Order: sequence, then structure tokens, then C-alpha cells
Amino acid sequence: MHVAESPSTTKIAFRGVAKSYPAKRSTQRATVALERLDVDIRTAEIVSVLGPTGCGKSSALNLIAGFETPTTGAVFLDDKRVEGPGPDRAVVFQQAALFPWLTVYENVTLGVKCRGVPASDYEPRAHRLLEEVGLETFERHFPYQLSGGMQQRVQIARALISSPKVLLMDEPFGALDYQTRIFMQELLLRLWVEYRPTVFFITHDVAEAIFISDRVLVMSRRPGRVKLSVDVHALKPRNADFLGTPEFIALQKQLLQAVQEEVSANGSVP
Amino acid sequence: MSAFPALQEVPSQPVVELPPPRRRVPDAVWSALSIGSIFLVWWAVTTSGLVGPDYLPTPQALFGEFVGLVENGYRGIPLWQHIFASLFRTLTGFVLGVIVGVPTGLMTGYSRVGSAMVSPLMAFIRPIPPIAFIPMAVLYFGLGEVGKIALIFFTAFNYAHVNSHAGAVNVPIAYYRAAESIGLTRVQTFFRVVLPAAIPTIFTGLKVAMALSWAVVVAAELVGAQRGLGFMISDAAQLFRIPVVFIGIALIGVIGLLLNLLLSLIEARLVHWKGR
Repeated sequence: MHVAESPSTTKIAFRGVAKSYPAKRSTQRATVALERLDVDIRTAEIVSVLGPTGCGKSSALNLIAGFETPTTGAVFLDDKRVEGPGPDRAVVFQQAALFPWLTVYENVTLGVKCRGVPASDYEPRAHRLLEEVGLETFERHFPYQLSGGMQQRVQIARALISSPKVLLMDEPFGALDYQTRIFMQELLLRLWVEYRPTVFFITHDVAEAIFISDRVLVMSRRPGRVKLSVDVHALKPRNADFLGTPEFIALQKQLLQAVQEEVSANGSVP
Repeated sequence: MSAFPALQEVPSQPVVELPPPRRRVPDAVWSALSIGSIFLVWWAVTTSGLVGPDYLPTPQALFGEFVGLVENGYRGIPLWQHIFASLFRTLTGFVLGVIVGVPTGLMTGYSRVGSAMVSPLMAFIRPIPPIAFIPMAVLYFGLGEVGKIALIFFTAFNYAHVNSHAGAVNVPIAYYRAAESIGLTRVQTFFRVVLPAAIPTIFTGLKVAMALSWAVVVAAELVGAQRGLGFMISDAAQLFRIPVVFIGIALIGVIGLLLNLLLSLIEARLVHWKGR
């Protein structure tokens, strides 16, 4: 089964975006996290961002999320300026920010419940999502009773329950072991086929980026700008067979090289 | 199915005789030994006359005096009424102090403006020991119950407020971001995120507030009261009824311990997720 191409409307747009953080002491200089970003992300596109530590990937994500505002320029969602956070841009954090006093089910449904969505509406969706991520027998468990991978799955369920247009993921699988990471990547692709969010995905793992994305951006070291943008043409859904294909191997080589260049550039600490 | 190579038999090794496992001495044994030896030393030192009865009564004398207190009360008032008087003052002041202190602390911890308005005042009041206010309490409220309860209220409020404030301030930013991204309003974030997240710190504050309230009530009773454990101690000391003084102190210790235990039990039920 091949998934049809999504319509090419711009979902997220960075226009002349720069972000710097003021110096905390007079002896320091301001940190320029992002020098200039002009990036368009299409609806239902999955975009991964690679780059050395400190290159501004998380800042870019925070700007889309609305946790921070740009120093210059603006981020647009559907041609409207991003002013603040909201459930239309769901976030999956690297450290599962689940609330430890709530059960898995309560964590997933807290947002929709508080926004007045009736239980008859969100209840079946919550059960189904938890089933899709494989946690249906853990609904009444507490986060501390779950492994890291399971907590991330709860986060994904929590993110998707409001059918967000945008999914922002900041190195979500970074803390997981290799096997679990592969499982999560395939899970993400399965969910994407169903829910079709626009995905902005930050990772250090080149193979992961290629495997799940339509497009991979490589950012330069600080101050960050987009150094390279490559399209991944392999059709979705993808499976492990993709990993051995010439396209994959070529992309991996190209992207790894681009990232290495930035990491080993003068004065930069990997 | 491919043929597997034949499994090699591992020749059985002779069983080595291991020494029997060393049994660990349970912790309770050590505690019992420690307490037991203290009692033993106490008994030996007092019964032999090494330390005079005016300084340290024998365990037997203390026990006898305790039985006497239970049967006859102190100064015509039954022992349980003395205990109850102290407890009543403490718990009333404590509950009132907590009811006012926790919400105000949470609010000032959550709101920057609230914090700016209230924190300087609290920073000034906090270092003042509640005992310093005893003369003032007597001046304003006289020697009755109100003055003591007001003092306890002040003590409990102080610590409940400070710890609730800290609890609200120390909510991890990740929680705030998660709350924002799932669409919670500021009010909802306060009640559904800040409050639960702050409860462990609040409980620490409650335990400190309780211990201090209990200490302050005794101090307040030393100055002016007609009943209560603090009164009993100071009155007995003036009359040189030393065993009564010791019993009073022991009772204060035991009740303080029980109050702390009670709070710990409530905390364990409420905050089963803490420290995980």
C-alpha cells in the first residue's frame, strides 16, 4: 500500500527567524542560538532536524511550540503568527513530562478534559490510542511503574488525543535502548499514516532521521542556520527493508558527513 | 530443520560444601539493644546512688509517679485533661495556620506579582522565633486560650507558607510546558499541576510546622496557663516534684512523635508517587 502525496500547502513557516538569549552577566556575550531561519514545512510532512549540540534545534522547536518568541522574524502556522503554546501543536519531550500523581489514562486525557471536551468524545479515543501504542493493560498504572519507553508511548498518546495538526518531538527516543527505539520509530510511522500530523522531529540519530522523514535538515553549529536539506524519496509506509537500499545508504553517508563537518569545526565541542 | 551439533555433556562437578549463609541480625534487635542498654545504665546509675534522685529519678520511681498521675491527676486535674489542653491549643492553631498558610504560599509561589508583594514581608517575619512573641501575645490576648492559639497559628502559618511557596516555585518547568501544550489555562495549571506537584514540599512544611507548634505551645504554657503539659512541667519544677517534670517531658516527646507519625502516614497515602 502506498500513501498518496499530501497536498503541498505550507503548514509551518519560519520567516527571517533569529533567536538570541541575553547575557546573564556583563562578562558574557549574548548567545545567538539561531542566526536566520527561512524554512517551509508542508502539511503532513515529516521533517527531521540533525545538528551538533547547541545548534539551536530545540530553540527552533520551542519557537514553533510557542514556549519562546523569536528575537527577530516570526513563525507562522497556517499563515497565522504563533503567539503561544496550544494543543494544536502537541509536544513530546525527551524526558517524559508526565504528571506522576495521575494514572496513564488520566495523563492522556487531562488536556482534553480540561478543555471541556465531553467524556463520551475523548474516552473511546483515549482507549484506542493506548491500545495502538500497546499500553491498554497499563491504563491504571502510574508513570513511575513504567519503563522509559512506555512513558514515551504515554506521551505520544497524550499528544495525539486532540488530533493535533502539528507534532513536535524533541529527541523523544534519545534515552531509549536500540530495540525500543526501532519499535517507537515504526509506531510513529503507523500513527502518522492514521493521523497525518505535520511532524517536526529533532534527533541525533542519522539513521532514525532518514527512516522516518520526508525531509532531513542539517543545521550548522551555533549560531544555527540550515546548512543542508535533503528529500527522502522512498515511499511510505517503510519498513526494515528500506535500511539496506542504495538511497538510504547514500543519504546516510551524505548526512553523516554534513553533521561531522559541523561537529568537528574549530572550537566546537561535540 | 537443520541439524544442530550434538550437545556436549558437561561432566558433573563434585558438589562443593558451602558454609551456611550468615544470617543478618534484624535492625530491630540493634534498636532494642540500644534502648535496653540506656535503661540499664539509667537504672544502675540511679539505684546505686551514683546520681541523686533530685537530678535523675530511678526508673521505678518514675513509673510509680506516672501511675499516680494517671490515677490522681496533677493539681486536681486529671492527666488526660492536661494532655488534651495542650493538644487542643496546638491542633487548633496548627489547622488554622495551615488553612491560611498553604493557599497563600502556593499563590505567592505561583504568581510573580504575588511573590513580589508578600515575600519581603515573610522574609522579615520568618527569622523571628515565635517564642519572642509570647509577651506580646499575653499583652494583647491575656493569659487565656486565644493568646496561645494565636501564637501557634502564627508559627504554623509561617512554616506552612514558606514551604508551600517553595513547593510552588520548584515545580519543574517541564510540567509547565506540558500543561501549556495540552491546553490548560493558568487557573487549571495552578490547581491541577502546581498544587499536586507541591504537595511533597507542603508536607515537609506541615511536619516542621507541627513539631514547632508543639514546642511553642509548651513554651507558651510555661509562661501563663492553668493546665496543660507545659504548665505541669513548670509547676512541678517549682514544687521540686522532679519525677513529674520528667514524665511531662517524656509525654511531650511521645506525643510529638505520634503527631509526626500521623502526618507521615497521611503523606504516604497522598504522595505515594513521591521520590520515584
